[in-house]
Amino acid sequence: MWDNLSLKEVVEYTKDPFPSIRKWAKEKGKKVVGSTIADVPEEVIYAFGFLPVTLVGTDKPLKKAPSRLPDNACSLARSNLELVLSYEGDLFDGFVLPQVCDTTQHLSDIWRISFPDKYVECFLAPRQVDRPSARYWVKEEIERLIESMGKWTGIGITDNDLKNAISLYNENKRLLKEIYDIKKKNPETITNREFFSLVKLSMQVDKEEFNKSLKKIKDSLAPKKGDGYLDIVLAGITCDPPEVYGLFDEIKLNIVADTLVTGSRYLDGIVPDNGNPIDALADRHMNRNFFSPIHDNVYRNFEEIKALYKENNAKAVIYIHIEFCESQEYDLPDLKKMIRKEGIPMHVLDTEYQTLSLSHLRTRLQAFFESLKGGSL
Amino acid sequence: MSETPKTDKPKKELSKAQMLSKKITEDYMNEAFRAHELGKLIGYTTAISPVEIFVAHDIVPIYPENHAVANLTAKKGIQLCSVTENLGYTSHLCAYARSDLGYRETGITVTKGIPEPDLFLACNAQCFTLTKWFQVLARKGNLPVFVFDTPEYIMDKKAREEIIKYCVLQLKELISFLEEITKKKFDYDRLKEVMKYSAESSILYKRFLDMAQYKPSPISIFDALIGMAIAVYRRGTPECVEYYKTLCDEFQEKADKGIGVLPKDKEKYRLYWENLPVWFKFSDHAKLLGSYGGVILTSLYVHAWSFEFDLNKDPLLTLAENYVSRFSNSTLEDRADMAMDLFKRYSMNGMIMFMNRSCKAVSFAVPTLKDVLVKRTGIPALVFESDMGDQRFYSETQIRTRIEAYFETLDRLQHKV
Repeated sequence: MWDNLSLKEVVEYTKDPFPSIRKWAKEKGKKVVGSTIADVPEEVIYAFGFLPVTLVGTDKPLKKAPSRLPDNACSLARSNLELVLSYEGDLFDGFVLPQVCDTTQHLSDIWRISFPDKYVECFLAPRQVDRPSARYWVKEEIERLIESMGKWTGIGITDNDLKNAISLYNENKRLLKEIYDIKKKNPETITNREFFSLVKLSMQVDKEEFNKSLKKIKDSLAPKKGDGYLDIVLAGITCDPPEVYGLFDEIKLNIVADTLVTGSRYLDGIVPDNGNPIDALADRHMNRNFFSPIHDNVYRNFEEIKALYKENNAKAVIYIHIEFCESQEYDLPDLKKMIRKEGIPMHVLDTEYQTLSLSHLRTRLQAFFESLKGGSL
Repeated sequence: MSETPKTDKPKKELSKAQMLSKKITEDYMNEAFRAHELGKLIGYTTAISPVEIFVAHDIVPIYPENHAVANLTAKKGIQLCSVTENLGYTSHLCAYARSDLGYRETGITVTKGIPEPDLFLACNAQCFTLTKWFQVLARKGNLPVFVFDTPEYIMDKKAREEIIKYCVLQLKELISFLEEITKKKFDYDRLKEVMKYSAESSILYKRFLDMAQYKPSPISIFDALIGMAIAVYRRGTPECVEYYKTLCDEFQEKADKGIGVLPKDKEKYRLYWENLPVWFKFSDHAKLLGSYGGVILTSLYVHAWSFEFDLNKDPLLTLAENYVSRFSNSTLEDRADMAMDLFKRYSMNGMIMFMNRSCKAVSFAVPTLKDVLVKRTGIPALVFESDMGDQRFYSETQIRTRIEAYFETLDRLQHKV
């Protein structure tokens, strides 16, 4: 189903991947396990024979979630809850939900109580990463997840099962990185929306099949530089709805680097495939780049964005703010100040999962880049 | 909470416990302002954090939350929060944090303020907000932050054992962190001594809260909120033990004489409160509810400081076990059990569930917790949304009407019975 997709089809599937997942799971007789972002070791879920699907909200209307999570709760958390309560809950046999902040901690409880007949496990990610105890803890949590899934399924997994999953997932990330490298230097070849759709769909469908599409797509790309593109760094956690990438394409912005959980933070999660696979997964967790809720080094976000901007010779930074994401909201005022002090142009886009009209974002983006082009460029 | 805001009301004669509380607070703040002179450092920390380690290492703990409470109770919320919002922070962040950042900008406070920090300890068993708020403050002075990460105390026994191990490991890291900053060896014997005081005062504090079992209750949640201040910022000291002995004696005397918050024949509704209080409506709420025969007896929040330290265990182990299992770090199911225990022990027959815009860590549990508690107790609940410190989110008429309607419902139900 996903082994011979064109770029156009990938964009369509990403908009609503669930009908195809539903069909695939039925045809293959496979069970599906959903996770919210971020950092659940999906290789473990895959090794147990499930299809791991990362949930990244829905643009369908909110009906049930507001009675569980009030309107000042993170837009992504509410949207994900709605996705399972009203629309796709029956597709999943179980869920593994990471806890990285107050909202995700509550979300995991609400989810478990809402689905008493399903397997709902939490992944208690360390909310500090600079001390040895964090490495100890993340390994404990990976082992607990393996044990918990083992109890649920009644089967165990071997190191080889896990290594095979890691190998497949690494291959996916390598392919995406290769395509990203082509895109960065040749923006006319593949649009922002197409590329980030490839990443997002990779997080939701069977990798064994989808890697075949990725290979074909990569081989078919004829690099074209194009004219009038402006290179930018995209910062944040997620960027939705996908039409936002379409806006970047419209005004010829070329994303050359990013810090997204649904972008480079995922691609950089290649796991060393030698030695003990659980240790390797724990090391991967520790080495991942900045994610606002779990990093206690208060300057790391700024340092990473600045480095990406300079290394890639970008012209501006666009920060995607998810409405009511508390973690981002504490970081943002200082981050803006620090980035602007460096003389780096920065623009913040406020996004909400249920927003359908992007006209206000378009106007703000156009105004920012017109002033940028009229200024130092 | 810590520093009583100034009011124009005529001075009431203070009880022995109140005088003691005043003296302890004054001594504490005087020491804090002279900390550097005394060769001590100031550590900002969260109200729920293993402060015993600070006390044992001569770090003076300061709680920006307490200072925020004083300003918010004195209705400085709008003024201070607006300043912070003009810096780019959104209006739906915690009012403690917003008012504190506003204080940093303007120096406006109804107290003498609080000393500047040298380091931070954020324990996320309380909330994640404090970690982010402390990070903002740390950036101002490039100061060190230690995050004591307490994963949710999930219901699996084996997982709990692992969580405790992780927390003990971190407490050792905290000790090394403090030793490195202060260039002073940590004294474990001193910690054992501090733990004795903390354990004793916690038992007394719980005894004080449990006065709500009496009928009529000599204590309301408003007494508990005032009475908890010393437990928050002076636990681990002999004066804290002395204070709670005095406080317990005073309330025990009231209970023995049958003196209630409301007279016995007027005490119709013994209420549970979920969440922090609306600080700037503190006394108004007590009066309004009292006029309907209602007394709010307790909340999980005030019980957050009734620790049960086991002095026979390694101090780091009992610290980890206690801090990780606070209500604010417990699952919804466990929170419901904790509340049910209070319902039974205090014979409560009503509940007010406050959706506090400022406190996501507590409030996001409220809708589900309300459903569970209503189902398990058979008692209807009053749910209202507002903010603990930002008056712009408080609608007087709406909340008053809801409270009136709630008591009408309770009256109707009582008559049916």
